[in-house]
Amino acid sequence: MKTLVLFTAAMLLSTPTFAQPARPATPPDISGEWRLENDEEAGALGASGQPPLGDYLGIPFNDAGRMRADTSAESIWGTPEYQCRPHSAPHQWRGLGGARILKEQDPLTREVSVYHIQFMRSLDRPVFMDGRPHPPAWAPHSWTGFSTGEWSGNTLKITTTHLKDGYLKRGGPQTSDLYTMTEYLTRHDDILTIVSVVDDPIYQDEPFVQSTTYVYDPTATVNMETCNASAFAENGGSDRHWVPHFLPGQNTALTEWLKKEDWIPQEPTRGGVKTLYPEYRSALAAPATASTLRVPSSKSTVAIDKAIADQSPRDGEVHALPVQGNIQMLVVDGTNVTVSLGNDGVLIVNTGSAAMTDKVIAAVKELGKTVIAPATANKCAGANCPGAWGWASPYFSAVTSSPAPPRPLRYIINTSAATDHVAGNEKIAASGFFPRGGGFGGATAGVGSRASIIAHENVLNRVSAPAGKIPAMPTPAWPTDTFFDEFHKLPEYFNGEAVIVYGAPAANTDGDSFVYFRHSEVIAAGNLFSTVSYPVIDLEKGGNIQGVIDGLNHILDLAVAEYRGQGGTWIVPSRGRLSDTADVASYRNMLTMIRDRIRDSIKKGMTLAQVKAARPTMDFDGRYGSTTGPWTTDMFVEAVYKSLQEKK
Amino acid sequence: MGRLLTAGLKTRLYIVGVAVMFAGSAAYAHHSYGATYDTSREVKLEGKILQFSYRNPHSFVTLQAPDQEGVQQRWAVEWSGTAQLATAGVNRESLKVGDQVVIVGRPSRVPGEFRALMVTLKRPLDGFSWGSRAGEAVD
Repeated sequence: MKTLVLFTAAMLLSTPTFAQPARPATPPDISGEWRLENDEEAGALGASGQPPLGDYLGIPFNDAGRMRADTSAESIWGTPEYQCRPHSAPHQWRGLGGARILKEQDPLTREVSVYHIQFMRSLDRPVFMDGRPHPPAWAPHSWTGFSTGEWSGNTLKITTTHLKDGYLKRGGPQTSDLYTMTEYLTRHDDILTIVSVVDDPIYQDEPFVQSTTYVYDPTATVNMETCNASAFAENGGSDRHWVPHFLPGQNTALTEWLKKEDWIPQEPTRGGVKTLYPEYRSALAAPATASTLRVPSSKSTVAIDKAIADQSPRDGEVHALPVQGNIQMLVVDGTNVTVSLGNDGVLIVNTGSAAMTDKVIAAVKELGKTVIAPATANKCAGANCPGAWGWASPYFSAVTSSPAPPRPLRYIINTSAATDHVAGNEKIAASGFFPRGGGFGGATAGVGSRASIIAHENVLNRVSAPAGKIPAMPTPAWPTDTFFDEFHKLPEYFNGEAVIVYGAPAANTDGDSFVYFRHSEVIAAGNLFSTVSYPVIDLEKGGNIQGVIDGLNHILDLAVAEYRGQGGTWIVPSRGRLSDTADVASYRNMLTMIRDRIRDSIKKGMTLAQVKAARPTMDFDGRYGSTTGPWTTDMFVEAVYKSLQEKK
Repeated sequence: MGRLLTAGLKTRLYIVGVAVMFAGSAAYAHHSYGATYDTSREVKLEGKILQFSYRNPHSFVTLQAPDQEGVQQRWAVEWSGTAQLATAGVNRESLKVGDQVVIVGRPSRVPGEFRALMVTLKRPLDGFSWGSRAGEAVD
């Protein structure tokens, strides 16, 4: 008994010796130069020193993800919008060139406020450690996304949202733009382990988990890959809008690598959640296949419907997002209104639904106050003060006068006759003032008492009616200035810049247009572009898929990225998040792929019903499609089919 | 040491060095060569240079040459980045618009795409060539 007691006591005393080391009170320093030795670029499985096409091993793809990867072409890098893009976030840790982690500190507390992570082919990637929230869903996405970090023991957890669509690995496996990434960085001595969890609810059945190990190496340096690509397409031919892709079932390269690596069965190379679990071994050994297996799986934490709806919330509110230069984007209960604010007044592109007009007017007035010069302390006294037009004491003027009223609304531009573009016209125009008419001192009653409304002529045709007929909208809601040809320029600068309305013939309808703010570098895309749905194409009103693609290509011709295929000219979609050239290119690419698929089906003699059954949009339906509501995937496919039939 | 090497050995070492360099350059591509090009096939293009874009991350030679059906097309032939080319003695003046050249390249995997990855380039007029020696081909 004594022996037992002594043994137990000795064991308890020695416990601290065997226990895990206590977690550090302060997190480890992860800054410095880190070397990656097992990068993915060399391609462990050969195939020309690059990851082989069709290698989806270990990726929990769903059918949409597989289709998207199969039909993607690596030549997409040759399109002008993608030539200088950096690697996508999921690949960065596994790409060539190591990593550099810098830290930015709070000057008062000296706590790390931001980590900056850099790779050879990346932009600077800030990881905010100061507890700031992630931006709203209607904020733009970037290649590196928006990252926040928090320490848990000696592990830094990084949460990243607002990522552009990209790829998991080079050469095929794609992501949607709804994926989020969670990374866990743990330092053990000079080893940094990164576990990344890519959660893409569109293309994966469960999150894709990878780990990578770096070694601390103060002698290493992270090179910067320069990119001075020009805007010419690298893909040859004479079509600068060429979108390379493979039609479904026609990418013959997917199994090439298996001829050499013939020990690998084909089924798991197609990915899929069931091939990731140990249970899959039984499928390899027996005639059973993955489809008959039951395995545990962890579902995505990203709710697709919510993630999409949040980009364009129907919450009865107006949310303002500053864009660039004079421009603000108002998210108005499911649609976007673009606002130009400046000393000349206010111009808005589209007016939202009738129910929202009071809130739009209030929001515009509130924003309008921001362009009024605030009163400043008087620095001059006396009749000779500059700017005094007849002496009225600048001192008294400054301290006694109330602020000037907000600048007036002067222009409305309707990019189409869609209800959520024109429904607020009447009331919102009445809140404005356009200084026209009169002349020679003779005022004319009513003229100039409302904002001017600019639109394509067919918008006017659609909302108006000849005398004696009932128009779709009351006269005060009708456009007052219309155009019928390629574009319409405002006759003079407005808020210091040219504003040009470009027509998009036979696009969503026969009256669509988009608006270019030439100095602010912002384009209000109208219905040509949405980040929440397929484009609405109304064949009865003159719409056509090719017109939509042409309109998007026109936007891409005008827009310029700021750097590495990101930022620069901002694009305000009709609905959804603020976007840039790469986002518009992605949308254009999707529509071009769908057009080509359906055109190929028509060439093969397939009926509309057969085309619908073949699901030519399957890889994009989770992101842009709908089975309910006013614009379903079925309606979209039918519109594309009939567009192309009519072009026969 | 250099004096101990024969001219032939020096040449062989040079070739190996260049080969290693270009093998390395393939790994530096920001896109995947193997996924972009069908590296098991070659296409021979004979035509006139329309543009030589000496730049990063990759240079491009734009060539007017016939396709398989004999129709003249604008071909974009991808080449190495400036650092790799400069080391091999190719600079922005090496090729001129209008030069007649013969290019062997790996064709794009995408049907209908007039794009290729440079394997060899020859200018018959003065014998200028790149990649024609054993082991020099990229990828």
